[in-house]
Amino acid sequence: MDEVNVRIDVNGVNREEKIEPRTLLVHFLRENLGLTGTHIGCDTSNCGACTVLLDGKAVKSCTVLAVQANGRKVLTIEGLGKGGLHPIQKAFLEKQALQCGYCTPGMIMSAYWLLSENPSPDEEQVKRGISGNLCRCTGYRSIIEAIMLASKEMSAGRTHGRDGR
Amino acid sequence: MMSAIDGFVTGQGRYVDDIKLPGMMRMYVVRSPYARARILKIEGGLNGHEVRGSMSSVGEGATEGSMELQEPVLSTSTVNYVGQPVAAVFGDNLYEAEDRAETVEVEYEPLKPVISIKEALESEPIHRSAKTNIMSDTWLGKDFEIDAPVVLEDRFVNRRVATNPIETRGIVADYSGDKLTVWISTQSVHSIKEGLCEAMGLQPQKVRVIQTDTGGAFGLKGALYPEYVIAAFAAMKFRKPVKWIETRREHLSASHPGRGAEGRMKLFADRQGKILGLKGEVIVDGGAYSGGMGEFAPGFIGYQLTGPYAIQNAHVRAMSVFTNKPPHGPYRGAGRPEAAFFIERMMDMLADELGIDAAELRLKNATTESFRSPLGMKIDASHDFIAKSIEELEYRKLSREKKAGFACFVLVPATQPGESARIVVKEGKIKVWLGGNTHGQRHDIFVKKLLNEELGVPEDKVELERGDTDMLEAGVGAWGSRSAMMAGTALIMAARKIKDQTEKEFGKYSPELLLANEYDEYHFEKFRESLNSFGANLATVSIDQYGNVNVDECRSYYDVGNALSRESVIGQITGGCLQGIGQALYEEVAYNEDGQLLTSSISDAGVQSALTLPRFVIRIAENRSRLPHGAKGLGESPTIGVPSAVARAIELASGRRIRETPVRPEMIV
Repeated sequence: MDEVNVRIDVNGVNREEKIEPRTLLVHFLRENLGLTGTHIGCDTSNCGACTVLLDGKAVKSCTVLAVQANGRKVLTIEGLGKGGLHPIQKAFLEKQALQCGYCTPGMIMSAYWLLSENPSPDEEQVKRGISGNLCRCTGYRSIIEAIMLASKEMSAGRTHGRDGR
Repeated sequence: MMSAIDGFVTGQGRYVDDIKLPGMMRMYVVRSPYARARILKIEGGLNGHEVRGSMSSVGEGATEGSMELQEPVLSTSTVNYVGQPVAAVFGDNLYEAEDRAETVEVEYEPLKPVISIKEALESEPIHRSAKTNIMSDTWLGKDFEIDAPVVLEDRFVNRRVATNPIETRGIVADYSGDKLTVWISTQSVHSIKEGLCEAMGLQPQKVRVIQTDTGGAFGLKGALYPEYVIAAFAAMKFRKPVKWIETRREHLSASHPGRGAEGRMKLFADRQGKILGLKGEVIVDGGAYSGGMGEFAPGFIGYQLTGPYAIQNAHVRAMSVFTNKPPHGPYRGAGRPEAAFFIERMMDMLADELGIDAAELRLKNATTESFRSPLGMKIDASHDFIAKSIEELEYRKLSREKKAGFACFVLVPATQPGESARIVVKEGKIKVWLGGNTHGQRHDIFVKKLLNEELGVPEDKVELERGDTDMLEAGVGAWGSRSAMMAGTALIMAARKIKDQTEKEFGKYSPELLLANEYDEYHFEKFRESLNSFGANLATVSIDQYGNVNVDECRSYYDVGNALSRESVIGQITGGCLQGIGQALYEEVAYNEDGQLLTSSISDAGVQSALTLPRFVIRIAENRSRLPHGAKGLGESPTIGVPSAVARAIELASGRRIRETPVRPEMIV
């Protein structure tokens, strides 16, 4: 199959690759760039394990072609919390909001997007915000608590002039 | 240093699909589109003309089985379920491999499939070498005749459920010319090694199995599957590493689902509610091939049918049947939830029949001393636990406010045959290997805590390593609520041996002395007894005009023994409760009469999102077990108790008798 050139800003770095046009964004990230923190769980865009941010919006990277991301910005779990853990990552550890860890990166990316849209969500809004991400281990309780905690930490950070990221 | 769990939040986990080896090929599996067919011709790819042999039964519920009824690795004669592997193709990447599926030519002659248990009992056998579709058939207990004033009879069904961990199955196999190395997402590297050696005729010293980070399992990842053998075969044939990762659709159609059982129950009682006897028939939908849970499950369900009650007479027939569906496997609970559902549904029926409060009826049939049922199960005195659970779950109060479903159960953990642990002390650090491999339960937490208690070493000096058959000579696996109990005990015993060595060497013991020296201790703790515990659940529900059920509250009260980590206990219970609700309301892998899978995605299969959460209330009892650390089993408790409690709550709220799971809206409006 003829290959095409794509240039995608991934986690702040320009990545240029020759790929087959049918390459899914998730495979581009995992296979071409070796960013294996973005997981594949279902192939039907139900589970959200592959969630990344495309131009600041959460997308399921198993349902986006890499060529659709051409010239755009992608943020993956590896790009979060540069130089330390992001408050959401810290909150997930503190609240034990993971067991097997497989859904975690996608869950955190959805939470990141939710909190960027709505910095102080209530519990119902958090549930809706992560309703596109499935977790089979935790029963979601600890995940919701972690996101609520991160929301608090991040708004305290903003009041004190620290960057949420 | 970053711990493994920190890596999970930063994307640094190392799951099997994250492995990349030089020259690695991707494998794609060509599968049967028919539930039952004769293969007239098969050409291309790696097929059964080359890859011979059949599965070996290893892992949870492994049975001897009859070889000819076990699943072939790749069949050349017949296929018996939609999704059964018939060939494998390879490519440098997934896309290329999948493209090559077209190079495989299979000619099928479709045959009429057997789908339901009823059909299986009435139809010609699906296997030519068998006389009937009965896979296994045993009797438990003793026949009895009682002239009882109350006799109740009913039939219950738990439909098949997919295990659905968010990470599906996967394997990477590599062959050096001398040794086969396998990286795999698994509950037991030892089962996988044993299975591969048996199925492929390999010497144990020629095979190494290493566990990768494992993204959930719930029973799925203990057994051997055809794809593992094919990948290993291909790695040896092509002398290249081979990776195979299951898609979700493959998981739904070709992995082993759990539940799928029918219970026919007959209860004999007096007018005061004392149960005098139980007759039962358990039939498990064993799927297309035997060897494993399909054979093991019926007897295990049957054995538990008296629950926490002192029922003096019991006689149970336990069978499984062949159907044209994937082989039955363990799913969190693995026979325990089925038994609880069948007996708890009968308890509620009896309560209604006699006009006695359902909790009161349970108390009346509980035992004040230890009891061995006619079916073989031993339980401790259950009366006080049930009385306490009525209090702890606030059953009386909630029953007044709203209709509350209450259910009790016995957890029978898979204690036998024990478990192993190895401790290596070197360079001021302690490394630990356990026979059962963690796949989300956080074994690291109890490992650190127990070694801190036994050896006085700081928790940050202790690291739990991943399963690796070259690093631990033998082991069993992580399933059946066993790890904290059995691996925990083995770890303590190994730690005590090391402590003794230090004392012998230096005349005294201190953690500093230990860490300054080198030790390497392996221990297999043999355990032949059962170590059961009790649990209870309560649920309340709301039902809208269309029959949609919402679980408002899900309350749990379990005796977990000494809780090694309160956070882990709460995490296990919360996640397990949601799975229990899932079985009760949503989860099923469904087939049409042609044996075609109707369930096409993980959401179709009923895995819930955060939108349907109830309020969880969790209480625990900590009655220490006789193990050195006092632990009891826990992991499966919620999936055992919750479906029965939810079923009762729906029954009370809707006025409709609930006889099956999942409870669909159309059943109650």
